[in-house]
Amino acid sequence: MRSVNFTPRFYVAATILIIILLFAIIGPFLVRTDPNATVGGLYDRPAGWGPLLLGTDNEGQSVLANLAYGTRTSLIVGLIAGTIATVIGLVVGIVAGFRGGLIDNLLTSATNILLCIPVIIIVILMSVALDNRSIFTLAFVMGITSWPWLARAVRAQTTSVRTREHIDVAMMSGASFWSILLRDVLPYLLSYVVMAFVLQVSGAILLESTLSMLGLGPSNAVSLGIMLYWAIQWGSVRTGAWWAFVPPTVMLTLISFSLLLLQSSLDEVFNPRLRRGKIKRKRGTEPTYEIPAAEGPAPQLTATGVVEGPAPIQDTRKDGGR
Amino acid sequence: MPNLLDAANIRGVYYTPAGEEVVGVDNVSIQMAEGEVLGLAGESGSGKSTLGSIISLTAREPLVVEHGTLTIDGDAQDLSQMDKIPRTWRGSVVSMLPQGAMNSVSPTMKIRDLVVDVMRAHDGKVKKDEALDRARDRLVNLGLPPRALDAYPHQLSGGMKQRVVTIISTLLNPRLLIADEPTSALDVSSQKALIEMLLEMLDKEIMSGVIFVTHDLPVLRTVATRIAVMYQGKVVESGPTATIVDDPEHPYTRALLSSVLTPEPKYAKIRIEGMRAFDRESFKAPEVKH
Amino acid sequence: MQLARYFLGKIGWYLLVFFVALLLNFVLPRLMPGNPVDALVAQMTRGGGASGDAVKAIYENYMKEFGLDQPYWKQFLTYVGNVLQGNLGTSFAQYPASVNSLIAQALPWSLAIQLPAIIVGWVVGNVLGALAAFRGGWFDRGVFLSALFLSAIPPYCLAIVLLFVAAVNGGFFPVGGAYSFGLSPEFSLAFFGDAITYFWLPFWSIVLVFVGGQAVGMRSMAIYENGADYVNYGRGLGLKSNTTVRYIFRNAMLPQITGLALSIGGMIAGALVVELVFSYPGLGTLLFNAIGQSDYPVIQAIMLILTIVMLLANFLVDLMYGIIDPRIRAAQSGDR
Repeated sequence: MRSVNFTPRFYVAATILIIILLFAIIGPFLVRTDPNATVGGLYDRPAGWGPLLLGTDNEGQSVLANLAYGTRTSLIVGLIAGTIATVIGLVVGIVAGFRGGLIDNLLTSATNILLCIPVIIIVILMSVALDNRSIFTLAFVMGITSWPWLARAVRAQTTSVRTREHIDVAMMSGASFWSILLRDVLPYLLSYVVMAFVLQVSGAILLESTLSMLGLGPSNAVSLGIMLYWAIQWGSVRTGAWWAFVPPTVMLTLISFSLLLLQSSLDEVFNPRLRRGKIKRKRGTEPTYEIPAAEGPAPQLTATGVVEGPAPIQDTRKDGGR
Repeated sequence: MPNLLDAANIRGVYYTPAGEEVVGVDNVSIQMAEGEVLGLAGESGSGKSTLGSIISLTAREPLVVEHGTLTIDGDAQDLSQMDKIPRTWRGSVVSMLPQGAMNSVSPTMKIRDLVVDVMRAHDGKVKKDEALDRARDRLVNLGLPPRALDAYPHQLSGGMKQRVVTIISTLLNPRLLIADEPTSALDVSSQKALIEMLLEMLDKEIMSGVIFVTHDLPVLRTVATRIAVMYQGKVVESGPTATIVDDPEHPYTRALLSSVLTPEPKYAKIRIEGMRAFDRESFKAPEVKH
Repeated sequence: MQLARYFLGKIGWYLLVFFVALLLNFVLPRLMPGNPVDALVAQMTRGGGASGDAVKAIYENYMKEFGLDQPYWKQFLTYVGNVLQGNLGTSFAQYPASVNSLIAQALPWSLAIQLPAIIVGWVVGNVLGALAAFRGGWFDRGVFLSALFLSAIPPYCLAIVLLFVAAVNGGFFPVGGAYSFGLSPEFSLAFFGDAITYFWLPFWSIVLVFVGGQAVGMRSMAIYENGADYVNYGRGLGLKSNTTVRYIFRNAMLPQITGLALSIGGMIAGALVVELVFSYPGLGTLLFNAIGQSDYPVIQAIMLILTIVMLLANFLVDLMYGIIDPRIRAAQSGDR
């Protein structure tokens, strides 16, 4: 790994994320209150350090405890779903891009069809029919529906890597199919995959909270989305019980924002053409500079959990464009 | 008579993101007379492209011109103040022919649109038809099909695109054309066509001088009247083509010339026997019999 | 001629996708362990209870419409046939209201917010992003960070904040619904004036997030294009910067147009939940209620409508792209 210049943006994003992670992992132990236990009346105001730090919600449960456990649940769901989606997208994209031919055609057609149908629709259709929505089932459903944009991008990159000389060398020296994929193709995709993973996790977290708001959230756990769901359904906004909806809102926004910031700063690391820096030199004037690079910018995330696929890669030719 | 080009004391430096300096052109001065083709030769990183971009006034960050003056027909400009140089100098006094015309024209516009924009940028009152007529005449004059004007860049072949871009670069009859590796991306017959076109244009006085930047020495031999050899940002030797090629003095020039590959006759005739066609689909290494 | 072939190809493609969407719409709820649709209907007939007769009527109606005793593939054909005729079924929960009527009531409200939001958001977002890219400096940094932040906020979170700050506390806007209690929808100026006050907060919740996303994307693309060869060449030919900016904009727009279809998908999903926050009587609230009441016909119908809207958006985007980018038409019709 060459030495990388991380911008301040990266450190800010990383710091926020680490704080959130710490809160999610050790928070429940620190708070030491069962989120389902009744600790007070309906919508009690925040009072003192302890379980009532953020008051109670509509069932008299500690908002603080729910926040800690809820953050943990949201992150777990996001990580599982993000991992599943990234793995599927990677495998489909690499196999399609590398193999070519009939397999490529089939996989690409399937991917393109699924791309046109919004993820939220498929997920709602599936979730509506589940009678037990556990964290893992939900994560699974989200994971197996969010991979198409990644598969398409990975396929495009794989087809361009495939035509490079070192692949020919590997093939001529008798390397096996999977060995080539792992050792000669994957390293080139790694930078993109890292960014894509960050986006997938972020998207999954937001998708889960969208589902929860619609009433399709996990049935046996509390998540940030579930907290918001109860907050809206029981009119906490109207009655001004801000402690019931502000914490999950802030937490959700922070998670989404820091992940997005992380992805955007990683994008600048891997894509020097996007950098806008200052040249440090003796003179007074400080213009911006750009260095030409190979690929375009990475995908953008929308805040409802739908990822907008990588923009400049338009598959105008069969071989992915070369 | 005064020189066409007088570039004096040019120093161009690249600044890395960490703030370090990399000198691209180290205090170089070159002169050219009317009607000359000056070949800038050297290996990669010698500074020839950098010098070319500075003289054609297209140097951009992170390349910074620390000092230098450019005098064309007696008109001098301070190269360290790139922003103050009149915009119209570019294209009508000095003009660049970029390396690899692949992406030199925006992919979403037709060639004719660029032609009109270029003409209008230098004379706001030019009518569209006038501009297109002029371009069409140029194309026909130099043996290119006029329908190229109505094409999108992706519809032209590599060689055709390079020649069309050459026409665009010289549309305003610049005094000096700086061609940066114009033949490097072309096959041999396209190279020949391009070189012949450049010489014909010079003959017709469309431009008065060409700086031909390349690493390809054999090409320079056919097109350049004078050659300047660059190494590590400095001009190590310059002189008439015949002198440089037949009787180089500087050890680097000698090394450069001797590195041109010409296979001896006996090796040129040997063929490798028995190599089977390579099947990528089956991922097996081919057998090679000796 | 190239263009016509391109369009026909696209139409064929989208018909295929629509068929797949219909298939998924039908199969997915029935695929899950327990096939809830049949189970629900069977449960209704079994349960009897207080509304035994009504439930029986629902069951028989459903049987008649969708043929529950038929094998699945026949049910699917019946379903497709019904959909193509425009019959989306009868609601379970609000029997005997037809799904069509329920959707017809809710759809205009959703459209009223989302259509202007898409247009305004796209235009403002892209212009802002391009401006930031070209001007650079502090303006760029400010726009970029605020746009990034805005695009990262889930729209319903923004909605909650706006609701609390501007409506509940500030009292500038009404707290929920689409129009004042006691009024009924009509095409009059008075009603419009009233309804618009209910319109603002949901509208802004959606638009601000959308603008953020578009601005960030456009800025990236414009910066990326700024380093392109044709920009440098244009400068070398003495073109004015305004001219090259035009070129950059046209090229940077292309991926923005491509991303527009996906962006719309994301925006619609967010808009559904925003409606919930404001109790806005659009498709979102309808969907939410239907989910709560296990009203499968309504849920399926809404999903189908949303899919159709998305496919239409995708199709229009493809059309636009084909018109603007000459390479696509060439590639599609086999030109080099």
